[in-house]
Amino acid sequence: MRRAALTALMVVLAILWLTPALWVLVTSLKRTPDIIRLPPEWIPWPATLQHYGEVLLSSSRTARIGRAFLNSTIVSLGTVVIVVFASAMTAYPLARMRFPGRDVIFALVVGSLMIPNAVILVPQYVLTQRLGWLSTYQGLIVPEAAMTFGFGVFLLRQFFLSLPRELEDAARIDGANAWDIFLRILLPLSQPALGALGIFAFRSAWNDFLWPLIAVNKPDMFPLPVALALLRGAYSSESYGPIMAGATLSALPLLVVFLVANRRIIEGVRLGGVKG
Amino acid sequence: MAAADRGVKHRAPRRLRRGALTPYLFLVPGLLLFAAFRLYPLLDGLRLSFTNARLGRPQYAWVGLANYQRLLDDTRFHASLWNTAFYTVASTLPILAIPLVLAVALNRGVALKTFLRSAFFFPFTLSVVTVGLTWLWLLDPVVGPFNYYLRTLGLPTRSWLADPYTAMWAIILTTVWWVTGYYLVIYLAGLQDIPGELYEAAALDGASGWRSFWSITLPLLRPVLLFVFVTHIIGSFQIFGQVFVLTQGGPGDATRTVVQHLYETAFQNFFHFGSASAMAWVLFGVIVVFSLLQFRLLRGHTEY
Repeated sequence: MRRAALTALMVVLAILWLTPALWVLVTSLKRTPDIIRLPPEWIPWPATLQHYGEVLLSSSRTARIGRAFLNSTIVSLGTVVIVVFASAMTAYPLARMRFPGRDVIFALVVGSLMIPNAVILVPQYVLTQRLGWLSTYQGLIVPEAAMTFGFGVFLLRQFFLSLPRELEDAARIDGANAWDIFLRILLPLSQPALGALGIFAFRSAWNDFLWPLIAVNKPDMFPLPVALALLRGAYSSESYGPIMAGATLSALPLLVVFLVANRRIIEGVRLGGVKG
Repeated sequence: MAAADRGVKHRAPRRLRRGALTPYLFLVPGLLLFAAFRLYPLLDGLRLSFTNARLGRPQYAWVGLANYQRLLDDTRFHASLWNTAFYTVASTLPILAIPLVLAVALNRGVALKTFLRSAFFFPFTLSVVTVGLTWLWLLDPVVGPFNYYLRTLGLPTRSWLADPYTAMWAIILTTVWWVTGYYLVIYLAGLQDIPGELYEAAALDGASGWRSFWSITLPLLRPVLLFVFVTHIIGSFQIFGQVFVLTQGGPGDATRTVVQHLYETAFQNFFHFGSASAMAWVLFGVIVVFSLLQFRLLRGHTEY
């Protein structure tokens, strides 16, 4: 009986917790004059997709959410590929081989998790500028990947250490070299950890704001968070419709990932958190 | 790489040397990325902090400690330090306690646990900009629902984000909504590691739920609590996105945090890279001190 009461209380709290997000969705579907009507209406009726059309298709300079969506997709997927491969290749020898300098390298990489992104903002900008990478995809992808790399090495090394060595030993006796073992045995066995890391990297790249805010100054290259933040400035405060449509669109990919791979995300947070 | 390996296999001395090289070959891409975009910028930032470098000016000179000296007189920087400290201190209790209470409740065998956990976690999948825009709209002084419902309840309303006394609290509220789910998941993992027998034994001895919480849950959760505490503190020192979206540091200087001020100094108002780098290193110093403190505390734990 007490358990039922607690469940009911938690359900009420959870619904309350989701209300702000629901309000964004509801607003994005309302007709412009209905948005600011008081008392607040929680059912968007008559509903319209007009704001979505405006932010996705409008050719105005500021509302290029469609283009920003594409940019964010390219940057996030590129980051995932680099993070997963670079972290796995680094974590493999750190977990499985003995060589001089191993412990120092591991300590350096994990220690770098303590370097705050805000602290290296200016020099990273100087470096990116010198490479000619401002307002380019690589200028977003590579620094973004570097931000997640340390965590990736930490996570994958832990996972590799937990795998049994027998398969690798057998393969080595059959004449496989280190690269074969890495590609054919270790990576396939590590799919859960690689998946968790991939989702983590996708999430950080998709949601990062500070770095793209300064590394991009061409509107065509803005990723979603930057485009949304500037969209806010482009409209008067009463025009919440397009802003909320943009916000909803930007939340969709991770919502889908979250619904499909709920357990893996939670697992990734847990692994990265408690043992970090 | 595999083809090259096979090519030299018949020469024993070469193979030995090659075997010794293998780990380093694996390390090359990752360490290159790491050295170029983490280590080098960190050190280059220190160098820049002793120069008068500016955005778009190729020539600059060594100015010694001038940037650091200027920080001593920069009242806006002092305000930003104070605001950051205020934010950090004021947000710590809610961000430590709210997820803990929710996690303990979810761990009491409630139904729908996965759904509930996901509901609280959802905001953490959003970007800081989306979260900021959400609360900007909710807290809109005229047409926002927050003030409307306060009014219907007969409670006082105000322009939460435009009032210097409430703006920072609005930012804290926004942050709590954003990150609670993340810490909730971490607490839940910690709670699951506590053996259930302890609670059963305590219940047999007649301990109340509160007593079990204080005498079993909290002490055994100490490493997790410390992790959450330190993660939150280090994150708080760097708070930026919420401020940028909700208040731009205003009203006046009321919510201008260190990173917001750093951003403005380097990229918005003065384009002064040297001065911004000095701020960054002061911030880094503070963060390092707190991180070292963390290690001391954690080591203290593993000893008993």
